[in-house]
Amino acid sequence: MSSVIKVTNLSKSFGSKAALKNVSFEIEQGKTTALIGPNGAGKTTLFSILCGYLEPDSGQVDILGQQLGDPKLFSKLSALPQDAQLDPRFSLEKQLCFYSRLQGLSKPASIKETHRVLELVGLKDNVNSRVSELSHGMRKRVCIAQALIDKPEIILLDEATAGLDPVNAREIRNIISDLSDQATFILSSHDLSELERLCSHILYLEQGELSEHKTHNYQGEHNYLTLQLINEPHQALDYLKQLQDVTHVQQTQSKEFVIEYKAENKQFDVHLLKYCHKLNWQYRQLINGNTLENELFNKE
Amino acid sequence: MSLFRVWQITQFELTRLFATKRGLLALAAFAMVWFMIFKYLIAEAVPFLSGPMFKDIARQLAGGIGFQELISWPEAEFAIYWVISLYCFPLFSLFVSSDQTVGDRQRGTLRFLSLRSTRDEILLGRYLGQLLIVAILIVSTVLATLLIMSYRDPSLFSSGLLLGLKLSIQLTLISMPFIALMAFLNIVTSSSRLSIVMAILLFTLGSAVIAYLAHYIPFIDTLFYVFPGEQIADVAGQKNTSFIDWLLPVVQSVGWLFISLVALRKRAL
Repeated sequence: MSSVIKVTNLSKSFGSKAALKNVSFEIEQGKTTALIGPNGAGKTTLFSILCGYLEPDSGQVDILGQQLGDPKLFSKLSALPQDAQLDPRFSLEKQLCFYSRLQGLSKPASIKETHRVLELVGLKDNVNSRVSELSHGMRKRVCIAQALIDKPEIILLDEATAGLDPVNAREIRNIISDLSDQATFILSSHDLSELERLCSHILYLEQGELSEHKTHNYQGEHNYLTLQLINEPHQALDYLKQLQDVTHVQQTQSKEFVIEYKAENKQFDVHLLKYCHKLNWQYRQLINGNTLENELFNKE
Repeated sequence: MSLFRVWQITQFELTRLFATKRGLLALAAFAMVWFMIFKYLIAEAVPFLSGPMFKDIARQLAGGIGFQELISWPEAEFAIYWVISLYCFPLFSLFVSSDQTVGDRQRGTLRFLSLRSTRDEILLGRYLGQLLIVAILIVSTVLATLLIMSYRDPSLFSSGLLLGLKLSIQLTLISMPFIALMAFLNIVTSSSRLSIVMAILLFTLGSAVIAYLAHYIPFIDTLFYVFPGEQIADVAGQKNTSFIDWLLPVVQSVGWLFISLVALRKRAL
């Protein structure tokens, strides 16, 4: 696979505070990538540099073979910047048509494209509404719609579902999931379960430094199961360690255990459930693999 | 730079005034103010200027302030229109163009735009849009003056048309650097209101400081040439105006726009 974004030794400071320290990574075409990190880790700074909103202090950014800010990237790279809003005085059609025209579409094509992207985000009935008349969730969806104009190759979404109710957040996740075979998405969010569902490549930023997780489903000599129980039985950890082929058990939070076992035992999940039944434990969820949250924050 | 994208942005600016509620309200206010100017200033002053009773007094008064040429125009409506517009339109340009990029920058809308056009194109497109708006409003008021004048004396229509065209071009040239100055202030301030405040401070406090320093430091008064409207007093009388008087606002506009481009390229969006 070819890389669509290549970042080399990228650094950015605000005064004496280093927001990004020699960050390097590559994103391959079609690989939905998550950008994760605590508040102030540098996620939005990295997004802003990739979109050309901020100039880096040093380092190289290569996007689809072009340098940052190259007009050849118009229509190929799009983004949902955090907290950005469309002009509240104009209708959705007016603004999205304007953006389409800037991207080089003819007048009839821009109207058609506007209707297409608004339909994608479920807002085709609001084509003549002004942004000021829309709810928070609808505004977010319009902003996502503008990022889909003319089918860009790379789409960066910064906190796309932040502040949305579960229904709207789910709709946006569905849009990303449906389009992930047509474009390379780069997502930033604090919702790890959301990113876990959508992304196959994780970039973890902390205090401006980057670490990469290629995948969160380990394959090899050992496999993982994450068991979530309804109650917390006495000495559960010890009981789980006694199971056959278990190599390690870690309690990651109350009522949650990550069990590492020998991969050769193909029936381990069945045995585990039978074991729970035998011990009269009620389980809430059994996850094949480790959760992203545990991978990132409960390393042992 | 893509002229196509610049023109798209310019066109969108026009709809901001002519196709939004706020823009139409501003237009209505503009029309009302000019209605008052036509009714109570221009229409009332013309008989005073051309009437036999006051003609000589008016000539003496106008001569004292360098307006003899204007008094001699048979198109008296345009003479009064010129004096009023000469000071009104630059001021009006400051207000009407006070939100070229700052509102969109604060809202984040500029981020959507910058994914589709360069910063240079955005700045130039917005500037040209505002200039076109001011030019349209100037031409509208010139046409209204022409109508009023032709109603009084239809024989003046053709000469008035040419004079109106000349004044439209001159007023647009004079307004150009004011809009360019606001383009720059929009980049260095955080709101359109603050841009206006900065402009007022520049024209009052800024010019006072330069005037004060000019007593002590030679040649510092050349700094007055960065101020839009520096040549207004020289061209007000419409007599002995030089080519430099009309070149200056163009040079000032290019200068302010160049500084704006450099500042916007460096600015985080």
